[in-house]
Amino acid sequence: MNDSASAQKILASRRRLIDQASRTTRYKAEEEGGCGVTGFASSIPVAGKHIFEPSVQMHNRGNGKGGGIAAAGLCADDLGVSREILDDDYLLQIAFLDPAAREQVERECVLPFFKIDSSGKIPAVDDYRDIEGLETRPPDVWRYFVRVQENVLKDFIARSGLQAMAQRKAEDEFVYQNSYRLNQQFYASLGEKKAFVLSHGRDMLVLKIVGYAEKVAQYYQLENFKAHIWIAHQRYPTKGRVWHPGGAHPFIGMHEALVHNGDFANYHSVSEYLRQRNIVPQFLTDTEVSVLLFDLWNRVYEYPLEYIIEALAPTGEMDFDCLPLEKQKIYRAIQASHIHGSPDGPWFFIIARHDPYTRRYQLIGITDTSMLRPQVFALQEADGVQIGLVCSEKQAIDATLHSLSQEDKRFSPIADKYWNARGGSHTDGGSFLFEFTKDSSASAAADFTCTDKFGKVISTPKDKLPADRTIELFSTPAANAVSEMEKALEEKTAWQLFQFIRDNLARWDFNTLSWYCRKIAAYGAAGNDCRKKAIEALTLLIDFRYDTGAKKRSSVLEILHRSLYELFAGAPKITARTTERFVWIDWQTRAKLRSPKKTETTLIIYAREFPPEGDECDARLICAAFELGWKRFMVYGLRGQRFQGCGLGPDTDGVRIDVYDSSGDYLASGIDGLEIFVHGNAQDQLGQILKAGKLVIFSTAQRAGTCMSWETPRAARSSMRWAVRGS
Amino acid sequence: MKAKNKKKSAAAERWSAPGVKRSPSRFRNPIGKYKIRRGPECIACGKCAELCPEGVHVKAGAKMEKPRDFYCLGFCCRNNPFYCIDKCPVQALRLVENPLCETLGDYRWPSDLLISTWYMAETGEVPRSDIEYCIGRSNGGFDKMRFNFPEKMPEPVIPDDEISTTIELNRRNDGRPRITIQLPVYGGGMSFGSVSLSTMLSRARAAKLWGTFGCTGEGGYPEQLAPYDDHMITQVATGLFGVREDTIQRVRIVEFKYAQGAKPGLGGHLLGDKVTASVAKMREAVVGNALFSPFPFHSVYSVEDHKKHVDWIKEINPKALVAVKVSTPTDVDMVAVGSYYAGANIIHLDGSYGGTGAAPDIAKKNIAMPIEYAIPKVHQFLQDEGIRDQITLIASGGIRTAHDIAKAIALGADGVVVGTADMVALECVRCHNCESGRGCARGIASTDPRLSEMITIEWGAQRVINLYAAWRKQLVQILKSFGMRSIKELVGRTDCLYHLDYQREKDEGRRAVGGGN
Repeated sequence: MNDSASAQKILASRRRLIDQASRTTRYKAEEEGGCGVTGFASSIPVAGKHIFEPSVQMHNRGNGKGGGIAAAGLCADDLGVSREILDDDYLLQIAFLDPAAREQVERECVLPFFKIDSSGKIPAVDDYRDIEGLETRPPDVWRYFVRVQENVLKDFIARSGLQAMAQRKAEDEFVYQNSYRLNQQFYASLGEKKAFVLSHGRDMLVLKIVGYAEKVAQYYQLENFKAHIWIAHQRYPTKGRVWHPGGAHPFIGMHEALVHNGDFANYHSVSEYLRQRNIVPQFLTDTEVSVLLFDLWNRVYEYPLEYIIEALAPTGEMDFDCLPLEKQKIYRAIQASHIHGSPDGPWFFIIARHDPYTRRYQLIGITDTSMLRPQVFALQEADGVQIGLVCSEKQAIDATLHSLSQEDKRFSPIADKYWNARGGSHTDGGSFLFEFTKDSSASAAADFTCTDKFGKVISTPKDKLPADRTIELFSTPAANAVSEMEKALEEKTAWQLFQFIRDNLARWDFNTLSWYCRKIAAYGAAGNDCRKKAIEALTLLIDFRYDTGAKKRSSVLEILHRSLYELFAGAPKITARTTERFVWIDWQTRAKLRSPKKTETTLIIYAREFPPEGDECDARLICAAFELGWKRFMVYGLRGQRFQGCGLGPDTDGVRIDVYDSSGDYLASGIDGLEIFVHGNAQDQLGQILKAGKLVIFSTAQRAGTCMSWETPRAARSSMRWAVRGS
Repeated sequence: MKAKNKKKSAAAERWSAPGVKRSPSRFRNPIGKYKIRRGPECIACGKCAELCPEGVHVKAGAKMEKPRDFYCLGFCCRNNPFYCIDKCPVQALRLVENPLCETLGDYRWPSDLLISTWYMAETGEVPRSDIEYCIGRSNGGFDKMRFNFPEKMPEPVIPDDEISTTIELNRRNDGRPRITIQLPVYGGGMSFGSVSLSTMLSRARAAKLWGTFGCTGEGGYPEQLAPYDDHMITQVATGLFGVREDTIQRVRIVEFKYAQGAKPGLGGHLLGDKVTASVAKMREAVVGNALFSPFPFHSVYSVEDHKKHVDWIKEINPKALVAVKVSTPTDVDMVAVGSYYAGANIIHLDGSYGGTGAAPDIAKKNIAMPIEYAIPKVHQFLQDEGIRDQITLIASGGIRTAHDIAKAIALGADGVVVGTADMVALECVRCHNCESGRGCARGIASTDPRLSEMITIEWGAQRVINLYAAWRKQLVQILKSFGMRSIKELVGRTDCLYHLDYQREKDEGRRAVGGGN
């Protein structure tokens, strides 16, 4: 930790900055609502296009008025510089809202202070209008690899009295202050904004625009730009038609970038706390003050991460009492010192951070004490590659993994572990970080770990192996096994078939399981009762927990899902003439919806392309189908679509909806008689109104195999019953 | 469903204002501003009864009845040829101010306003006496604002029947039905439980006949309201009491209640006394247990949560309009814009002057921005944002009179919501005992089976109908004075208003400038 004298000196040196800035009280100009945030850290560098899918899917968490991305752990080759320069230099990125201002900015804020090792305008699409949905021209961005000139630095140290500080850290402080000055002169003080610093950390960069986040990657041509850590943000600001990308996330401290979903109640208190330490926000959003807090505690007070998290999200009440006494003492001191700077209200931060002094890279997710914003963490560990993800919604995690697994077979579309953080708790502290050391010479980063606030390691079972997705082989298992398996398939009921597989699975290898699942799919393709049995058996296998032997459950699930989807997709289309029990409908054929014919009982809805809400959403299709006489529904391919089970009205006894994949918020909010089974995880705000019926959620969370269900029989409506069942 | 809609629109075209029918007080001695004292000198000659056109004096056989002084015009009658006091051959009559007025009402609803509202509810006429029926005595808010009427009626004078008081509730092009209401007024949410069923039904019937809306409040949807489905707004409020898909699907407008102006930062609450068996059943709660709604929706902590919330209701009822009721924090303009982008059709600002006696005074009098600041703030902001003409802005919270309505509209609202005024029409005396189950001496805000029998629906509905009729007359008069043909022309015309405090400054400024001449 910096001793208090150094900390005071750093803060005192910043006084010069705010003397220039207006000293009047400044109000938060940019009102923010919630947003969609997503981020991942991978042990191997991956291309920017993989941040697309989750961003696209979270459109309904933003309104296209601001989006941004940050990347850390970059590749020297992509940037056209040597590895040494990438490691040692500050990567200064300046956005020019007014391209004509560049000369002045460089003359006054870059050239006099920095030794420039490399510079240039970063590539972008020629005409922004070529990118669909981009309405405002993104700024020209210039990138400079710089070090502070020696005499300038010497001057700065002498003037600020920072001799006791490591010289490199003083250089950091110079860069930070120089950016502040630049922003003040060319952004904050002006009505017509000219330029601002996007990022200035080492081995990390930030880009932001007025538009959806994925357009950043498209416009600045980052589809194939590689980095270990990516974070992105969809913004949902409520004010203003004219937007400056300056107001978009991520915001920077020094070597970190932060995206935020939420809204503080105490912006003014936090700003005042910062002002007392000579820090004045320039972009007037609560996200900016969040990262200023982080930077203050990190670089000025040099707190370890655990204490920074404690200062942001204090442990309270019962949880505090559960902490060890030693910790209580420290935490009490932290809280006493910094409670006025602690953001109050709903917030969730994702931080991409580089610590150049230890060469560690971190992706951190922190939730507020009351967990008022949605957050999901996930971890996948396979041989050679590890990836940790933090998102507002699980669907964004699924989208990222899907995108990655399409390109690189080492990634699986299903994570090994999904979980939530418990804000301000004594168990995990409401925060998790994924951390690794980057070694530019190796293909993958070393020692990728996931820990909670207290340093407890989160890992996946080491004795379980993933399926090798790089090879596809379905050799027939041994003859005696085959005959037994075929016999089981023919003769057993769905439940018995499930039991048979459950009991044998530990002994089978992935090939046998794959082979058998294919067999089951082929058997189901015969239709009617066969399809029913096959779907039921596979669904039971997805819902329940059992010993998978040396096989990873995520890989088993992937295989099961693949065959299940084959069975769904193989059902006759709504347009076909059939006598099958199952009928399949999707976005293209939705207009062909009709009443069920005599034999038809179940409508399978492929929800992938349906919008998440509105008159055209899949939930409305269910309502329309219900009015036409359909009573059984299977919905799959969901990616965050909301409201399944809502809008069917009263007296829906006998209706059953089976939901697969990532369903969205407000599921079953209003059911009056019907049953909903969620074969996987569910999102927030379930069952806002539950009048009668049944809601069952089989989660994929790793914890001790549980499912949650709620049931009110119509006969005894008053006896609502929530139960957590072990299975 | 479609056929029903067609019928509805045809009905809307044929709409005509409901008839005014005199509906006198339920009580033997209605309270008036004046009292006529008849001395023992009276010879029952009947002269006064012959003279008085207001019907104060009635001769019954050989005796004079007790004066119906509720109708008395008071001292302003003095110059009339029929002024009974002077004309009494034996000077048996004495005119005094009713001493009861000293204890009646409060600053916001002084006795004059209560009595004039009762008069309008009884007769459907604008009071002719010197009673104050436009403003209260709060010395703030609408009571400090006046209209800048032109000195002469603008030529040509617009005939009354060419002046429109209709407003549109759905102004965005979202494929949802257009809904027009005939008055720029609809009924505020008062739940079953907070008021009696007959109060609810009276208001609902009046709303239907006036071609506007009533609101269920948060507390379920009594089956008896079914005939008024097309004229009811149902609330989805933080406690979700009595909310079912069915209730959301049967109405044309669904209102989210995020907060109430009278008690921002608090949810609705119904104290145990009022949770009678029928209320408890409707709300699926326990008899006698106080019901507190949480302050926020626990599913809504941000604007994109709010959008999800709105989307949810729209999914359940694809034909309904969505109204968002919020109180008036300092950033209410942001809230309004956020609601617009979230897909709301109506943004309803609830200011702090309203609330029945059930809202705690500490909240009522100390929190949130006064509505007369909030309306222009939001109006202006929506205009700057370029979306003002796509959203309906409704104001509420202490709208007591036709002049309040017009002032709120001139400040920038499209229309208003009233609550307490309806209660006063049903003879509420503002005694502030609404929270206690059997406390309502007038049988309005009570679900006690015997007390709520005090009001019949016919009577109650007619009283509200009459009040609205009197209001409409005044609104027409105001518009006419400004040469406007529609209430829509008045929206945001702050130049039609002045504020007493600032007027003085302006006058003084003028004097200072003019001093040199």
